[in-house]
Amino acid sequence: MVLTDQEVNYFINTIRNTSSYDFSEYSEKSLKRRLQKILIDNNMDLVALINKLKTNKDFLEKIVKDITVNTTELFRDPQIWQTLRYRILPKFSGNRNINIWHAGCSTGQEVYSMMILLNEMGMLDKAKIFASDLNTDALEAAKKGIYKYRFNIGYLDNFDKVIKENPYNYDEYNDVSYDKYFKIDKVTDTIAINDFLKKKPIFRQHDLVQGGNLYFAKFDLILCRNVIIYFKYSLQNKVFKLFHDHLYTNGYLVLGMHETMLGEITSRFEKKGQAYRKK
Amino acid sequence: MYKAVVIGGSAGSFQVITKILSSLPKDFPLPVLLSLHRLKHVRSGFVEALSIKSKIPIVEPYDKETIKPGRGYLAPSNYHMYVELNKRIALSTEEPVNHSRPSIDLTFETAAQAYRDKIIGIILSGANRDGAHGLKKLKQLGGTAIVQDPNECQVRTMTEASLKLTSVDHIFTTQQIINFLLKLK
Repeated sequence: MVLTDQEVNYFINTIRNTSSYDFSEYSEKSLKRRLQKILIDNNMDLVALINKLKTNKDFLEKIVKDITVNTTELFRDPQIWQTLRYRILPKFSGNRNINIWHAGCSTGQEVYSMMILLNEMGMLDKAKIFASDLNTDALEAAKKGIYKYRFNIGYLDNFDKVIKENPYNYDEYNDVSYDKYFKIDKVTDTIAINDFLKKKPIFRQHDLVQGGNLYFAKFDLILCRNVIIYFKYSLQNKVFKLFHDHLYTNGYLVLGMHETMLGEITSRFEKKGQAYRKK
Repeated sequence: MYKAVVIGGSAGSFQVITKILSSLPKDFPLPVLLSLHRLKHVRSGFVEALSIKSKIPIVEPYDKETIKPGRGYLAPSNYHMYVELNKRIALSTEEPVNHSRPSIDLTFETAAQAYRDKIIGIILSGANRDGAHGLKKLKQLGGTAIVQDPNECQVRTMTEASLKLTSVDHIFTTQQIINFLLKLK
């Protein structure tokens, strides 16, 4: 099933006219692909889909969830976590509080990775963890903190690289047991995050397109990884502006491995790898 | 007349890719989009390995990066790589397609939509069927479809899948692919 650009626009306009969601500034290719997948999964043509969207609010909410992409892993991209551990988080170790916002936290693996790291650094108690996503199903999964173990994916390798090893000092090795943070059950193929971690984050639904600060707080660190790749350049810049407004001076924004800031907004940050320090 | 080259490869394609890249001159006039499968545990070091022999710079692009001639764009590990109509790269972490991320089909399909009849698509050795649908789309939109000669491939499954689905313009050995690319202006 191949959709034309007009058909995708028809979908975008329907969503915009019947709800508070707006996909008009989402990247074209991936939005089209998501929509095509939705039509196939629901065994519907576009006209039938649109009609149901107009009359059925629950269906609309479900389709909005299906549009969003929810890929995430524990300690995805260990280099970024090593940078956080040895280059960024130490800057806040003397602070009384540290506010962290995971914008687009999906099912929460990044949130728990951060808390594990903070705990190893002795900073968890002073941290406030905020985590938001558009997709409320993803947020519910994040609160549960039970994930497919999928031993072949290499989560534990990533854990070892970030938590046990020090890339700046090969002699250092911290023998931290996995049990301290999660229980692995190979029979049910699950990793279950320990309760003391699950209690802490404040999970809230939030749509970056609509902007606004749902926590009425400023942040020392904002992580937004592999979210803005689904946005057009214009929306990316709005989101960067939002993050800039809600960071403290000298606070950091961390993006995904292959995301970058372009244009005028770059002058308001100092770039260090995937981390951007607010000037 | 051509504006881009897109190459898909999987098992057995690394040496072929290296040979092609080492043969292209520094001022090769087109961008080269590379959608290559890699082993799960070999996530980094690939771009460095390709860069050793290549005369054109090879990068794992950023999302929204503008595609420029004379550069190689390697789909980053664990991302799909699309081409937007404005000739910028778009990356995605959507679920793997046919167990593959990057998906060769998706890179080919979107590159074909962006470059229409001004693109050359090349499918190399591989042990799965990824790329066959993408090459078909590319051919339908007027692009030039090339498949590595299955008799030369270390693993012929991927090239045979493509040949089954599409009547291609050329079935070439590695050397013939290189000769073809070197004639482009």
